[in-house]
Order: sequence, then C-alpha cells, then structure tokens
Amino acid sequence: MTTLTLSRRFPWLTPGFLAWIAFLAVLILIGLVAAAEVLLKGLEVTNLTDAVPWGLWITIDLSAIALGAGAFTLSAVVYLFGLKRFRSIVRLAVFIGFIGYTTALLTLVMDIGRPDRFWHPWVYWNVHSVLWEITMAITIYTAILVIEFAPVIAELRWFARYSVPRRIAHSIHRATPVMAVTGMLISLIHQSSLGATYGILRSRPIWFKPSMPIMFVISAIAVGPAVAMAASYVVEWVTGRRAVPHDILNTIARFSGFGLLLYAYIKLWDLAAVSYYGRSPATSQALFLLNQQTPYGFGFWVGEMILGIVIPVILFLVPRFRRNPFNLVLGAGLAMLGVVFNRWNVTVSGLVVPLAYSPGTLVQAQPQPYVPNLVEWGVAMGVVGYALLAFTLGVRFLPLFSERRKAEPS
Amino acid sequence: MSKKRAAKKTKVTVRLTRRDFLVMAGTAAGSVIAAQALTTGPLSPFAELRQGQLTGEILGEAPSGGPHWGMSIDLGRCIGCEYCIRACNAVNDVKADAPWNIVVRERTENGRAFFFSRPCLHCQHAPCVEVCPVEATFVRPDGLVVMDYDRCIGCRYCEVACPYDARRFNWEARSDENPYVPTWGISEVERRPRGVVEKCTFCIHRIDSGLAQGLTPGVDLEATPACVNICPVGARVFGDLNDSASPVSHVLASRPTFRLRPDLGTEPSVYYIPPDEGTQS
Repeated sequence: MTTLTLSRRFPWLTPGFLAWIAFLAVLILIGLVAAAEVLLKGLEVTNLTDAVPWGLWITIDLSAIALGAGAFTLSAVVYLFGLKRFRSIVRLAVFIGFIGYTTALLTLVMDIGRPDRFWHPWVYWNVHSVLWEITMAITIYTAILVIEFAPVIAELRWFARYSVPRRIAHSIHRATPVMAVTGMLISLIHQSSLGATYGILRSRPIWFKPSMPIMFVISAIAVGPAVAMAASYVVEWVTGRRAVPHDILNTIARFSGFGLLLYAYIKLWDLAAVSYYGRSPATSQALFLLNQQTPYGFGFWVGEMILGIVIPVILFLVPRFRRNPFNLVLGAGLAMLGVVFNRWNVTVSGLVVPLAYSPGTLVQAQPQPYVPNLVEWGVAMGVVGYALLAFTLGVRFLPLFSERRKAEPS
Repeated sequence: MSKKRAAKKTKVTVRLTRRDFLVMAGTAAGSVIAAQALTTGPLSPFAELRQGQLTGEILGEAPSGGPHWGMSIDLGRCIGCEYCIRACNAVNDVKADAPWNIVVRERTENGRAFFFSRPCLHCQHAPCVEVCPVEATFVRPDGLVVMDYDRCIGCRYCEVACPYDARRFNWEARSDENPYVPTWGISEVERRPRGVVEKCTFCIHRIDSGLAQGLTPGVDLEATPACVNICPVGARVFGDLNDSASPVSHVLASRPTFRLRPDLGTEPSVYYIPPDEGTQS
C-alpha cells in the first residue's frame, strides 16, 4: 500500500502544469536578466537615490520574512504548546518559511552594494546594530529551517539506498522540539527587529516609535500561518488530494483572524497616539506632507486596514464565510497583500519625508518621489518566480504531507 | 436558577506544597539576579559595549586629553559662493552631483536670507556608527567619524540613519572626469569603489600626515581641511576643541554657537554661529 501513496496522481506533464512551469521560467528569466544588469552596472540602474536608498527590494525582504512566519508559529504550536494535531501542516509551513527566508536572502544580496562582502556581518560584529542582529538571526534561522526540513529530504525514495542519511535524519528528527523552541526565540526577536530597524531611528519622525517592532511581529504571527493554510488549500485543489484536515485549516484561519484583530487594535492605537493624542510638530508635518504628496492615506486605510485586516477578519471569523474554503484562501491572499502594503508604506513613506535639520525656516525639500523602475520590478519578478517554482517542485517531489499518513491508522 | 449556575461554575483548587513554593520563589529570585548580571552586571557581553558605544567613553571624547577635531561655521559670514564644495570635490575627488558639502539658501524666522552650509558633523554619538552592521564606520579617538571602504557592504542603513543627510552612496563605478581638478585643487585621496558609502572626512589625510610632520591642524594650511582653507570670508574655522588655544576654541569662547538638532543627542563636532535674525517685517 505504501507504493500507492508514492505513485499518487499529480497533474504532471499536463498542458496546464507545463504552462505554469513555462510562466515561472519566464519570470525567472526576466529576473536573471535584471540581476545581471544590476551586478554588472551597479545599483545605478535602479531608481533608488541617496534620499530614498531603500525601496521595492527591502519591501520584498520584509514581506517574505513576515509571510514565512508560519514556520515558527506552527512549530511552536506543535512542539512547545503540544497541540499535536497541527503536526500535519508543520512540514508545509517549514517549507514555506524556508522559501520565504531564501527569497529574502536572495533579494538582500541583490540590494547591497557589495554582494561579494555578504559574509562581513558574520566576521565583523557590531552588536549594537539591529541590522547585524537581524542578519545573524536570519541566517541562523534559515539554517534551523534546513535542519528541521532535512528529515523530509531524507525520506525521498532516492535516499532509500543509503542508510547513513536516514540515520542522521532520524537523530535530527528527535531534536526537532529543541530546534523549534530555539527557532521560535530567534524568530520572535528578529521579526520584531525588522520593525526596530525603522523604530530606533530618532531622526525620522514617522518611524521613531516603540510600537514599530510590535506591529511587525504581530502582523507576521497573524498572517504567517494563514499563508500555510491557503497554500494547503491550493495544493488540495490542484492535486485533488486532501493534504491537511479541514478542521485544522479552519482553526488556523480563526487564529489568524484573532491575530489580525490584535494587530488592528495596536495599529489603531498607534495611529491615535501618534497623530491625534500625542502628535509632535515633526510627525504632524510628516503626515501632512505624505498625505498631500503621496497616496499614503489611501495605502494605509484601503491597502492595510480594509483589504489587509477588515475583510480577512470577516472571512476568517464569521462562520458563514469560513465554511467555504475559497473565502479562506481569498482572506489569506488579502492579508498577505495587506502585509506587503504595510511594509511598502513603512519603508518608502519614512524615507520620502525630507529630514529637517537646517536652522532656517524653509523646509529642506519636497518629498522625494520614488517609483521602482523596470530593473527593480524585473528582479522582483525573478525572486517571486523562484519562490513559486520552489513551492511547485517541493509539492511535486517532497513528502510534505506524509506525517499525517503515518499518524493515521490505516 | 442561581443554584444551577453555581453548580456549573468550575471549582479551581490550587495545591501548592512548601517545596513548590520554594522552587518558584528561588527561580524568580535567580532570574532577577541573572537578568541583572547579564544585562548591566559583570557577566554582560554588553558591558564593554555600553561603555564603548553608548556612553561614548571609548568612541567618544578622547579620554587621555588628546585632540578632538571640530569646526565652527559662521552663518552670518557665509556668502554662498560654494567654494567649499568645489575645493572639497577636487581634493577628495568627490562626484560632482553628490558633494559631501552642501550649501543652501535659507531664511531666518524674520525672513532675512542667509546661506547654510554643512559638512559631515562628525557626531560623537553618531547614529550611522550605531547602526552599521559590520563596524565599517566608527568614531576615532580624535572625534573623526570615518569609513572603512574595504569593510562596507553597501547596505545603506547609515544613509537612512544619518539625521543630517551627510552620506553618499557610490551607485556606480566612476569613470567621470573631475571638473574641479586642477582648478580647485588636486585629488589627494583615492576614488571610492562602486557599492560603498562615503562621506566627509574633515580631510583626515591632511590631519594625519600634518600631525606626523609636526604641523597643527587648523593653523597650518597643509594640515587643515580644504573647505576651511578656501573659504574667502573665513566663515569656517577648524581646530582642536580640547585645546583652548586653537582657533576654533577662540571662536567658541567668544561667540554664541549652536549645534544642529541637539535634541537627537548626537553630539556633533561642528558648531554654528547663528546669522543676524533681521528685523520683524
């Protein structure tokens, strides 16, 4: 009977699947061309400037890491809080986390001016730098994800011939709870630190606030598991096999709904405290400039609040909507979009507000406009193509859902 | 009805032995001591850092009474000729469209026009230094904030963190001809490679080689920043802030001065003499 599970029917070599692979190949090709342009000519080919040195790529880094947060959240649920029934989705979540983190690292390497010195943070430590801490945490956590995932790789039929990888994988497997806890601690720290990257800069009025790391980590914890949930449904629709029990996916959706509510609560309090009750002249002026010159208010209210929080919360928490899997996937998609909107809004809005340091009365400059150009979009397409291709191949070739079958009485 | 409700209530019992209580109390006390020792106490890996970076004892003002290089800029004197930009661009071989110095037209509260110029302020508690993930930029004992171009990874976090917009990134490999050479000076330092951040150095190469020859920066032209030497109205004065006989100390002692954004606590080494406010119109 075991052979039956391995020779499952997957839409392999069907026109639709081949078209999907071809589409991803085109994305990756575009990405490679754009990346070559950047590596050969330097970051001059982007629309980034000294005034707005971070843009679309940093948004992708932050989003990919936040959306990969399902790995640590669900690992913690299973191994730390002992809710064993969620075990069937952990492998998928860890795999998505791995894709998210590698996507972020890939984009980061493109974004730094000296990709050849990517290893410097590991050798030259500045422990006071939040970015140093993030670099260390992300690389360590990516390593943990790889180790957590190694048993899955070792389960491949190709390894059946060798006993050593299996044995190593087995001992790793027994250490999984320890790694899950370590991973959770590191994740909690660096998911927050990504917000602190902005929150600690006292010269930037709309960034400098202690709520920044908290909003980042809570949005990641809320949306990360929903990504795994939606991915599980999509895999089920495409392959026609029920991968993860629906009651588990429903519970995850409810968890995400409550997480988003908490996120909305903190976000609205942050808004009230910063722009109404305790506004400083600098933040008032910054928000005024942003609302006047950029679609900041639209992005915040429509992109982050309505699309990213209100609609997903309704879809996740109202039982009438939750019954339909399509609504859950839609909600997860919108919540993901909301996170991307938020990371973009935070990054670019903080930078386009000009710095005020001149002793005179004239405003230093108008807000610096920033719109990503074709090269930046090209690299973005490439990394998205990489993420989707990795996911597709993983679903096709890796035993992502087999733990459920083992646990089930057959 | 009320009886029913009462019956429904869950009874909570806490069974706590003396041993449990002692273990819990011991854990709590131990955690407090451990937290104290690890964060501020002798075991803390951050103890040295705190002193070094946060209170500025190592990276800040020189402890042994060595020099602390600083500058004063008289905003009332500046005529906006931008010679400082040109001399700097020539001497440090800076790209013409991304100068280290800036000069902008400004207006006082009462509407009187003046020119505002700004080199790097060489903060003693520099935000750029605090955020650099690889310590590619640091505060020297003599107060200069300098870059290690061989270590910089080009993440541009320092550019984002600098409150004064003093940093510039090398977006491309440079092949341009410097239009300010040789009219405004000869390039005295190497061009920076593609992909690293650069900034005003107070002409560190002149200071270091000048001191080695026994010269006094701020007094001897060969050891003084190019922007100070070229200023036709003497708006910029340079020297050792720790030496009461230096030109800059004379200015600070005799004129009212202020620093930019003192609220940020960055402790810049550049002092400004305010311009004439003008009369209320």
